Amino acid sequence: MADIDVGLMRGTLDLLILKALTWGPRHGYGVVEWIEHATGAALQIGEGTLYPALHRLEAQGWIEAEWGLSENNRHAKFYKLTAAGRGQLRTGLSAWQQFVESASRALHATASPRTA
Amino acid sequence: MTDRGDWTRVFRLGVGARHIERDVDQELEFHIAMRTQKLVGAGFAPDAARAKALERFGDIHTIRDSCLDIDHQRERAMRRTNYLSNARQDISYALRTMRQNVGFTAVVLLTLALGIGANTSTFTLIDAIVLRTLSVPHPEQLVTIGDPARTGGMSDGSVRNDIVSYPLFADVRDQSKSLRGIYAAGRTSRLDLLAESGQKEPEHPRGRFVSASFFSVLQVPAALGRTFSPDEDKVPGGAPVVVISYAYWLTRFSGDRSAVGRSITINGVPLTIVGVSASTFKGDIVGQRTEIWIPIMEQQALMPNSPWLDDRSKSWLQMMGRLAPGVTLAQAKSEITAIENRSMLDHVAAGERAGTEQNIREGPLRVESGARGFSYYRKLLAAPLFILMAAVSVVLLIVCANLANLMLARASARGREMSVRMALGANRLRLVQQLLTESLIMAIAGGALGVLLAIWGSSALIALTGGAEIAAHLDARVLAFTALLSLATAILFGLVPALRATRVELSEALRAQGRGVSNAERGTGKFGLGKMLVVAQVALSVLLLVGTGMLVRSMQRLQRTDIGAARDQLVLVEVDAQRSGYKDARLSSLVADLISRATQTPGVTAASVSENGIFSGSESATSIRVEGFTPRTDDDSAIAYDDVGPAYFSTIGAHLAQGRDLDARDNQAGAKVAVMNATAARYFFPHGSAMGSHITMDSATYEIVGVVSDVEGGDLRAKPVRRVYLPMAQRRSPPGQFYLEVRTSGNPAHLSESLRHALSAADPSLALRVKTLSELVDDSIAQDKLVSRVVSVFGILALALAALGLYGVMTYATTRRTSEFGLRMALGAEPADVMRLVLGEAMLLVVGGVIVGMPAALGAMQLVKNQLYEIGLLDWPSLALALIVLSASAALAGYLPARRAARVGPLVALRES
Repeated sequence: MADIDVGLMRGTLDLLILKALTWGPRHGYGVVEWIEHATGAALQIGEGTLYPALHRLEAQGWIEAEWGLSENNRHAKFYKLTAAGRGQLRTGLSAWQQFVESASRALHATASPRTA
Repeated sequence: MTDRGDWTRVFRLGVGARHIERDVDQELEFHIAMRTQKLVGAGFAPDAARAKALERFGDIHTIRDSCLDIDHQRERAMRRTNYLSNARQDISYALRTMRQNVGFTAVVLLTLALGIGANTSTFTLIDAIVLRTLSVPHPEQLVTIGDPARTGGMSDGSVRNDIVSYPLFADVRDQSKSLRGIYAAGRTSRLDLLAESGQKEPEHPRGRFVSASFFSVLQVPAALGRTFSPDEDKVPGGAPVVVISYAYWLTRFSGDRSAVGRSITINGVPLTIVGVSASTFKGDIVGQRTEIWIPIMEQQALMPNSPWLDDRSKSWLQMMGRLAPGVTLAQAKSEITAIENRSMLDHVAAGERAGTEQNIREGPLRVESGARGFSYYRKLLAAPLFILMAAVSVVLLIVCANLANLMLARASARGREMSVRMALGANRLRLVQQLLTESLIMAIAGGALGVLLAIWGSSALIALTGGAEIAAHLDARVLAFTALLSLATAILFGLVPALRATRVELSEALRAQGRGVSNAERGTGKFGLGKMLVVAQVALSVLLLVGTGMLVRSMQRLQRTDIGAARDQLVLVEVDAQRSGYKDARLSSLVADLISRATQTPGVTAASVSENGIFSGSESATSIRVEGFTPRTDDDSAIAYDDVGPAYFSTIGAHLAQGRDLDARDNQAGAKVAVMNATAARYFFPHGSAMGSHITMDSATYEIVGVVSDVEGGDLRAKPVRRVYLPMAQRRSPPGQFYLEVRTSGNPAHLSESLRHALSAADPSLALRVKTLSELVDDSIAQDKLVSRVVSVFGILALALAALGLYGVMTYATTRRTSEFGLRMALGAEPADVMRLVLGEAMLLVVGGVIVGMPAALGAMQLVKNQLYEIGLLDWPSLALALIVLSASAALAGYLPARRAARVGPLVALRES
């Protein structure tokens, strides 16, 4: 998993983060927990790499941040989806899906297609 | 981790840099803490848990830096958009306010345009004459050798180094290693140019003799044809070519390409135009245009009776060179000084060696940066322009004070609005920004209008300089100056009112009874800012008015000063007979002929002749031995002299203190006589009379037969010099160039034409220049006229502005106190009492301004003492006049508000509260 192209990783990570926030605001740690839980703890990237992604998404306007109190009364920065972010998630998801399908088709091909 | 207390969702605007770092640290720390907590719950020891949490986190430093980078960038972008939207908002708000108060805006813009325009005009002149460098490549490498102001000088006699002879120039050119190239340039006599075949009337372009390296040293290419090559320096008379200036090519030859290669004649000598200089090149003299450049080698061909090329005693050239790479100005100076001194001493006659050595000691060679070229006008106008710039800055300060007062009054009227906005959370800085934007826009608009005004203004100023030929360009430097000035003006008159308007006490402002801002804040209280500004304006006006008074009176004195001759009844005719080849006997009979023709012209009462004309720019000097006088230094025997014709003194109206005038019997056959002027007589004969004593000059001895009261030679301001007059007929040979003095019975200006007509009849080929003496004297004080006239205009302007300012403040102040006045009158005061009250306050401000302004004025006048002619610093008439004018204006300015205050009906007034 550590060998996967960072660009691909980043795009996927962004989608995962956006998806994580679909059910309401979470702080960074909460997003990490959700991703670990939802992907079955398969993604073993350093947890911290999430944070630059979060800040970047905030700068791009897909998510917005607010400081608040966590479940155990600690001061934490909560992120939530913006309307633009929701749209971005939708389009990103279908694009990702298309990519995965066509890549899968190619990778599982048994015979080389006729070249002209 | 620090808790923020009870804030649940704090709405945070604006993020500061430290904020950003704190937030990121806090966020990451939260994550680590949560993971640690989870691990502790899973059974790890606290330290181990934290270490494992950090390990799982990843490279915290890189991550922190990435987050900080992203956040800082975002912050910067936000701030930028903020600024832009703020600025846009401010500008549209300011424009709207300006449109809503059209009258106010118009007054402000007009005042600004006048103030800034006057400054720009003056600066344009200063830029053109004093600051601008020659439009040639690398002007900083150029050096002038000699006196850069003597652009038209010619001296015959002892060797000099401010202007040099051709052989001396050749020595420097051949021996100097510190200069990469050097050229010499000198004046031409009047040029008679015939450019078209069949042309009868010659034209007289402005020409300059230059050595062949002129264009190559200045690195000026030809726009058409070619410039001079080294061939043009080889043989006298062997370079019959000229180069014309681009401007002259356009105006005289209509830009016709066939002008190059055309044959023309100048002074009867055939020459060919070989080229047109580059369009950007305006010559090497600032303030005088040159239309045609002629090789020095042609000097004797064009002026056949004045062979100057081989003569070391004829000094007429200025020199300019380009420094060789790596050579400094100081090195060049010492090398060239050594070369010139050696050359001068090598070729000097034995008897004159000591004199030459003394000249060298007393007049060291001037070698200076030539970046700004030669200029006669720069030296002449430097001091006057400084005075003008100072005066016009004072006017601008008054303008700023006026505008500041206006802005103060307006801003305080919006005091309540400001305080409410600030109470609702508006940033004070924001509000000040908004108010400043308005000032800035008005200043920029006023500045732009001012630039337009300056186009006219600078032409007017140039016209007053008395002959300087400058194109007043609004070049980049001038525009930059105007922009800077507008900015400074905006800050000067906008900042303090903006700060004042936003410095309000909330409680005071919202008080129902109150009028918004206290009187002191508003600036109309006893020592309010507004009143201080008026006092400042009055002080500055006093400065200008006193200056105006003194300069105008000085000018009047100059114009009426006694020059020792009949100033308003003399015409001077400059005659150049040398060009036409007159010599010896032919010359003497020509002179006699001209004098008789002049006397026969109707309206002429007498005529005479002299070698040097009064106020005509020429002078002769020599040293004499005086019987019974022992000189201590060489200077003591120096004396100016003039060769004059019969009845000279009675013709020019000079007063003979002793003895007689020179007359017809003082010729070759008669005894040699001379007349001394009073200064010389007092100097050489302090204890007795000069009459009958003998003087020796140029190996001839003369007896003094008369002493004449001093006649001013050419400079009204200079102390009179020692002068002796000798009969022209007794001199070895009459001069080829001389002046006729013609005394008229009526206005000499009316006779110029008929006189010229009568004289040309003697020989139409003679070069004549006719001018009245009063014209010549006025020309010599043109710069003083410039200063006094322009400063007067500024003085009046300043007075008007100060009066306006006073009027504005008094009106505002009295309006505020309407209820008070109504109360007073209801309690029995007469309208006259109220008027006296208001007028008294106005006069108090004026008195304050005078107390501050008078010492400042006297101090300033001390600086320009040299400009004042026979006017002491405590010139009571000027001071009194300034005070009277100021008081009258102040009284007028205060009268209207006073009257309005007195007219208020008590009921109306009381109702206003």
